[in-house]
Amino acid sequence: MSTTAWLTTLQFAGVNALFALAIYASLWTGVLSLAPVFFGAVSAFTFGYLAGAIGLSPALGLLLGVALGAALGAATAGLIIRLDSHYLAMATIAMVLIGRVLVLNLTEYTGGASGTLVPGDLGTWVWLIGTLVVAGYVMSRLAGSRFGLAADAVREDPAVAQTLAISPRQIQFVGFILSGALGGAAGVFQSSFLQYIGPDTFYTHLGFVTLAAVVLGGAFHWAGPIVGAIAFTILPELLREPMGEYDRVVTGVALVLIIIYMPRGLVDVRRLRLLRDRTRRRPGDRREDVTPAGAPAGAEASS
Amino acid sequence: MQLLAQQLVNGIALGSVYALFAVGFALILAKMGILNVAHGTFATWGALASYWLVFDHGLNFWLALALGVGFAGLLGVLADQLAFEPLRRRNAGTFAPIIASIGIWIILLTLAEAFSGPVAVSYPTGSVPTEPIRALGLIVLPAQVITVLALVVVVTLVHLLLTRTRFGAAVRAVSVDPRSATIVGVNARRTLIAVAFLAAAIAGLAGVLGALSDNNVSFSIGEALLLKGFAAVVVGGYGDIRGAAVCGVAIGVLEVMSSQYISSGFRDAITFGILLLVLVARPQGLFGERQLVRA
Repeated sequence: MSTTAWLTTLQFAGVNALFALAIYASLWTGVLSLAPVFFGAVSAFTFGYLAGAIGLSPALGLLLGVALGAALGAATAGLIIRLDSHYLAMATIAMVLIGRVLVLNLTEYTGGASGTLVPGDLGTWVWLIGTLVVAGYVMSRLAGSRFGLAADAVREDPAVAQTLAISPRQIQFVGFILSGALGGAAGVFQSSFLQYIGPDTFYTHLGFVTLAAVVLGGAFHWAGPIVGAIAFTILPELLREPMGEYDRVVTGVALVLIIIYMPRGLVDVRRLRLLRDRTRRRPGDRREDVTPAGAPAGAEASS
Repeated sequence: MQLLAQQLVNGIALGSVYALFAVGFALILAKMGILNVAHGTFATWGALASYWLVFDHGLNFWLALALGVGFAGLLGVLADQLAFEPLRRRNAGTFAPIIASIGIWIILLTLAEAFSGPVAVSYPTGSVPTEPIRALGLIVLPAQVITVLALVVVVTLVHLLLTRTRFGAAVRAVSVDPRSATIVGVNARRTLIAVAFLAAAIAGLAGVLGALSDNNVSFSIGEALLLKGFAAVVVGGYGDIRGAAVCGVAIGVLEVMSSQYISSGFRDAITFGILLLVLVARPQGLFGERQLVRA
């Protein structure tokens, strides 16, 4: 691949990382949701329409996208957060599908089947990396905060969290707002890099690629989705040459293998700690009550 | 009035395909606890396999239908044993099977796309019954009759199987708790394999009949079915397959009516809108009972 092609691939890896962080934000609180794809679509089409109609400046567009995403996240959470996990997951998938129907039918605002053009001012490395750094910083600060600890507790066991005076609904509500804000930003970037968005830009494929990225990277640490998104965007590009149209099969196989054999993903802080503890022990050390080194990483994982 | 009656017939026939699919989907969801988003691809592969047998090998349509249904069932068993069984053994929780099933969906859909090519095809004329039946001023296609009959037969048989036979008792026991079922002498693994085969085979049947009614075989058959089927299961409540079947038919009628009298563009939006509405207002489904969930 040429250098330009590599740079383009990396840019989309960055956008996917934002989407993956959005999915991670709700998964953190124990909710599997593809809704960020829908939030991204709404932000992107609003941005495209306003930029065309009233000449909205790109920086304002990004802020608007984030705000719109967060507001939609709050509205969605208010409606569906009380559903059981299966129903909740499927309701968010239904949102993605309804999104496509809306794009196709609101021709006046979205351009319908032929899509719409979007200014590409935000499609630069500075904006993308800047946003990723801000998002990463916010997530890393949240990880150690009261919210982060509460979110971990809610994901592991809502009933136990409740006995610790944590309201799972409240935590999940916040998670959805966070997820909406990140999804909105990701949507604006996706449209800025593509400079053209259509009904299929924000559809199931995007949702699955980013979900796969979260699972591969690891859904237990905020760096996981970023690592996973980069790996999962570059992998198909590398495979396109030898595999042709079957490159997506590898995505599917990888997803199944990872969830079976590496359920905690690539960025697995607990395994890293185990490894570190093992290397710190010197040969002369006679402690034998340490966790056996060969313990499988996912032995007690219940994702 | 004539138009209304004709559209009602069309709606019931369309809904029967959705209902068939929903029955299989509900079986996996209720008895195995897996939200299997790959279920639609079983339908696609059932249709593709039967088309391939009819078109490339000149097989009789009915034989091809049976083989396509069997093939879909085998795919279901394969997916269950390769992806879901390891997760079940590890007791991996609710998300892991959903993600694994997304993986299977991507694999089977990509392969179906590559196998069928981008051009939609239909069963060769002459191999399938197409002569319309005229009665009471209505036009009924043979495919519609076959679909409705298939739905009635499948729902009756599956319902009797689950409620009146030893096998059904075993399935219900395993669905509550595989380990306790094993203690009382049920082979849990064999039972689950049988359920996986049955559910995927019914999906395959829905795929073949859907392709026959639309006169169109393509890799995207299963995608439409998946959502309509899911909507039917949610609205009907998945405890009882009869609820899912009734709602599947209702969704078909609603779709035909809304594209006739409201707008064809918003047909899907109306279906999914109702799905979201029911999810919000009555998550256990119209006919469902509240599920007992372990704290």
